[in-house]
Amino acid sequence: MKNRGWIIVFASALIICAVWWLCITAFSSPAKTVGIYQNGELIEKIDLTTVTGEREIELSGEYGRNIVYISNGSIKMKSADCPDKICVKHGELESSGSPIVCLPNKVIIKFEDASEKIDAKAGAAG
Amino acid sequence: MDTVMSITAYGDGCEKAVNMADREINRLDRLLSIEKSSSEVLLLNKEKQLELSNDTLKLVSRAREVSIITEGAFDITTEPLTRAWGFYSELDNRVPSEQEIQDALRSVGFQHINISGNKVTLDESTSIDLGGIAKGYASAKAADILKKNGVTSALISLGGNVRTVGKKPDGSFWTVGIADPNDSSKQIGMVSVSDSAVVTSGGYQRFFEEKGHIYHHIINQKTGYPADSGLKSVTVISSDDTLADALSTALFVMGLDKSSELYSKNSELFSAVLVTEDNNIYITENLKNSFSSERNFEVIFD
Ligand SMILES: [Zn+2]
Repeated sequence: MKNRGWIIVFASALIICAVWWLCITAFSSPAKTVGIYQNGELIEKIDLTTVTGEREIELSGEYGRNIVYISNGSIKMKSADCPDKICVKHGELESSGSPIVCLPNKVIIKFEDASEKIDAKAGAAG
Repeated sequence: MDTVMSITAYGDGCEKAVNMADREINRLDRLLSIEKSSSEVLLLNKEKQLELSNDTLKLVSRAREVSIITEGAFDITTEPLTRAWGFYSELDNRVPSEQEIQDALRSVGFQHINISGNKVTLDESTSIDLGGIAKGYASAKAADILKKNGVTSALISLGGNVRTVGKKPDGSFWTVGIADPNDSSKQIGMVSVSDSAVVTSGGYQRFFEEKGHIYHHIINQKTGYPADSGLKSVTVISSDDTLADALSTALFVMGLDKSSELYSKNSELFSAVLVTEDNNIYITENLKNSFSSERNFEVIFD
């Protein structure tokens, strides 16, 4: 059941501040580029097609660790110490789907590419 | 029940501006959310009479305006109905008895709110909920703060409510996708906009199932039951965020024909995309040049 976007509760803010040239690079990124953000800051931008074999990225936040896992051109949250584990249950990040979000540890993983041709989507929270 | 807010801003001093906008949105959340103990709305519902601060008063007044032009389809007094249906917590979801609905309906309607100066008085069993309008107001204020602080181009998303400031840094329009009510990971089309809010309301955003029936959260204030107007979702585009937020709910309750009538009287105020139960897409005429979709759609003329 969808349970968002009704009563306003804003616990987490993803804040990106950029200048002109940064924006141009963002809009011309190749397909399959994902951004990993924590506390609103870009931790790393990764082109999934360039990762050979497997890769794990460890992040730590208020509620412990998050392990991000990349293999075969896909990315997911492999494990997390957060209480709700919503980020782990999300499974793999899909280009047509919503970003992987860990609200407790303030982590967001999302596609950066312009393949969707949209800048934002109305009606689908988080 | 947390939701993600994102602000992407371009321009001189954007970092400071974004932090200020973030703080303002959080301040408004604490002031207006019916769930926060610090909220003026919660206190008014408890005391039934309160001198409101400017923000809250402005919103109650705006809510009344929208209630009038939509003949009650937008209503901030449906709180007792929303509570009876248990939509304030997933654990409370239930179908109330006919008697409960009739009882709750007695305290619903703007005639139960009295505004005098900045003092607002509610009838004994009336309570208000600004959830259907506060996000729009918050995004408008955030956009103002960004503009005043040197940001020329920005995108704000508050749990699915989108607000654009200016055009994109490269001078082109922002492209905002509209969620498919049958699968919100997909989209039914997109709109090209600048300096506008894009807000979608749909039954798919919050609902529960009981004995094979689906009950969604947008309550028709006349019947006391979830709105059953033949629409699956309504998206409203307007330079007025607060109006867009309130109208997306109102049009959903009103249905296609009444929404078309409202549009023909107010075509300078808003644009809309409506998806019907049988998955047909209707757009208002003033959106003809900015809406695109791979699917067929009909145009509502004013
Ligand atoms: Zn998590």
